[in-house]
Amino acid sequence: MSESIGLLHADKRSPADAMRLFGGPALRAALAVALLGLPLVVAPSWLFTLGICFANSLGVLSVSMLVRYGGEVSIGHSVFAAAGAYTVAILEVRFGVPLWISLPLAVAVGALLGMAFAWPSRRLSGIYLAVTTMALALALPEIINAADAWTGGYEGLYVAQALLPAAPMGLQRYYVALLLLFAGVYALARLRESRQGMALLLARSHPAAADAFGTRRTWARLSAMAISAGIAGAAGASMAYASATVSPSGFTLWTAIFLLVGSVVSVYGLTLGRALLGGAFLTLVPQMLASSGAWIPIFYGCALLAVILVGHYAPKLRSLVERRGRGRSAP
Amino acid sequence: MTAPTLTASGLHLSFGGIRVLHDLDLEFRPGEITGLIGPNGAGKTSLFNCLTGAYRPEKGAILLGDRPLRGLPPAARAAHGIVRSFQTVALCPDLTVVENVMMGLARNHHAGWLDAFLPLPRGRRERAAMRTAATAALAEFGLVDAADRFPAQLPPGNQRLVEIARAIVGRPTVLLLDEPAAGLNDAETRDLTRVLQRLATPDLVMVVVEHDMDLVMGICDRIYVLNFGEFVACGTPAEVRTDPDVVRIYLGSDDD
Ligand SMILES: Nc1ncnc2c1ncn2[C@@H]1O[C@H](COP(=O)(O)OP(=O)(O)OP(=O)(O)O)[C@@H](O)[C@H]1O
Ligand SMILES: [Mg+2]
Repeated sequence: MSESIGLLHADKRSPADAMRLFGGPALRAALAVALLGLPLVVAPSWLFTLGICFANSLGVLSVSMLVRYGGEVSIGHSVFAAAGAYTVAILEVRFGVPLWISLPLAVAVGALLGMAFAWPSRRLSGIYLAVTTMALALALPEIINAADAWTGGYEGLYVAQALLPAAPMGLQRYYVALLLLFAGVYALARLRESRQGMALLLARSHPAAADAFGTRRTWARLSAMAISAGIAGAAGASMAYASATVSPSGFTLWTAIFLLVGSVVSVYGLTLGRALLGGAFLTLVPQMLASSGAWIPIFYGCALLAVILVGHYAPKLRSLVERRGRGRSAP
Repeated sequence: MTAPTLTASGLHLSFGGIRVLHDLDLEFRPGEITGLIGPNGAGKTSLFNCLTGAYRPEKGAILLGDRPLRGLPPAARAAHGIVRSFQTVALCPDLTVVENVMMGLARNHHAGWLDAFLPLPRGRRERAAMRTAATAALAEFGLVDAADRFPAQLPPGNQRLVEIARAIVGRPTVLLLDEPAAGLNDAETRDLTRVLQRLATPDLVMVVVEHDMDLVMGICDRIYVLNFGEFVACGTPAEVRTDPDVVRIYLGSDDD
């Protein structure tokens, strides 16, 4: 499975090169400082778009995390993002709950939903997770519309409560999205160093070895999915806050697909720079699609998706076929 | 502290009607190095897989001391200190060498999820302690310099030694080594021999599957010979070497 994605593989073989390309700690810190200072120099309308870009970057990060630590592709992360976004929006609109309380709840809701999805396929590897999440992503806008008593239906909900009463709302949207992205990148950097993170990586490349050293596969699969979906929940909360609205059109199957494509564009990177790369892609492409209105970009998106899925699952399917021939797999 | 004896009796394993292990009785004792030899496909790795819980034998009992193991999943057996190395090196390519070895200690550590995401003192202390122990294990094989490299950057022999370091770092009570010397050069084999002999104390049950007969005959106190899933001989190296069945198996096959 570690060989499953050419790009990922190449990247892993040359950690030094990757460092050079996306900057060592110094360059990353410079990037972070630049983003923090950006509102001093750019126009407010740009701040709005950048805030959405940061939220999208966090969403891309959640998909990349699942690929890196779980070896899984999900075409349904819009579902977990929607869960986070609507948690924040509904809590604010119905109960006046501020973001600093609803945000942890959005993460928890995302994580629980992720575990619920991973549970049926916890012992299986292959395309099951991708297919089940995709089915829900497809149905999601209808579900949201149907629950319009809570979700505001097609028109959605307006998220407007300030975190700091005095500060301009535009700046708050920008900084909340940026700081959440920082937090996501930081948490994943910590995870990589932790015992749990290392155990997840071992379980992904050698499940039998992980088993032999006390890491249960079920635990690994559920944990990877819960973390990823939790981050997606935070991304959804960030999207809701940064864009000031939540509506079903923000969480269609296309959202899910572009999250995955953005993750591929960022080469599944978990650093700030890579996440921003994927986020920028995700922010620009839908606008491009909307303005062109032609079918070509859609075919393009479908082709891209097909390439990703074939690249990811071909080795697994081949080994499955070989295994059928031989009986069962040996660790 | 003396390690418990690992025993199995009446062990049967088959895959889709093909018999892999047939009615095995064995007793692996602490303080000894037990050799497990046999031609390719004899079932040596399958026997390890039964002992660690990766395979489920159809029949038979496996006991660690007087604790029955059958039915326990691999992770639970790992918690009892049963540890193995793999015939094909199973190191994680995304982890550095020292991190791979640290995974051998994972079952002894319990920092929670908060420690995983936040820089809390407990998680840091745990990581530092794991790193120290893992570095010491690497030092046994002269691999400290490779600690922060990735497995793919090491020659195959060194990769195997890293895997053995991962197996021994957690002070197991049962150590199952599957062809630990495969791919090692002479110097690496000497390092390995020295480490294994030093580990042969009453607090460890050690079983070595190996095709290198000089190594097996040199370090083992007792040798089991497996052929087509059945034991054909068991005894000291001298006894096994002269056993007519063993001689026939080894002279009659093209392996070794
Ligand atoms: N998961 C499995 N499914 C089907 N057959 C298996 C499986 N695992 C092992 N076998 C069969 O069991 C037999 C014993 O295999 P095993 O790997 O245990 O041999 P071995 O003694 O370790 O050989 P080698 O010296 O080549 O490593 C072989 O015929 C093998 O094909
Ligand atoms: Mg074998």
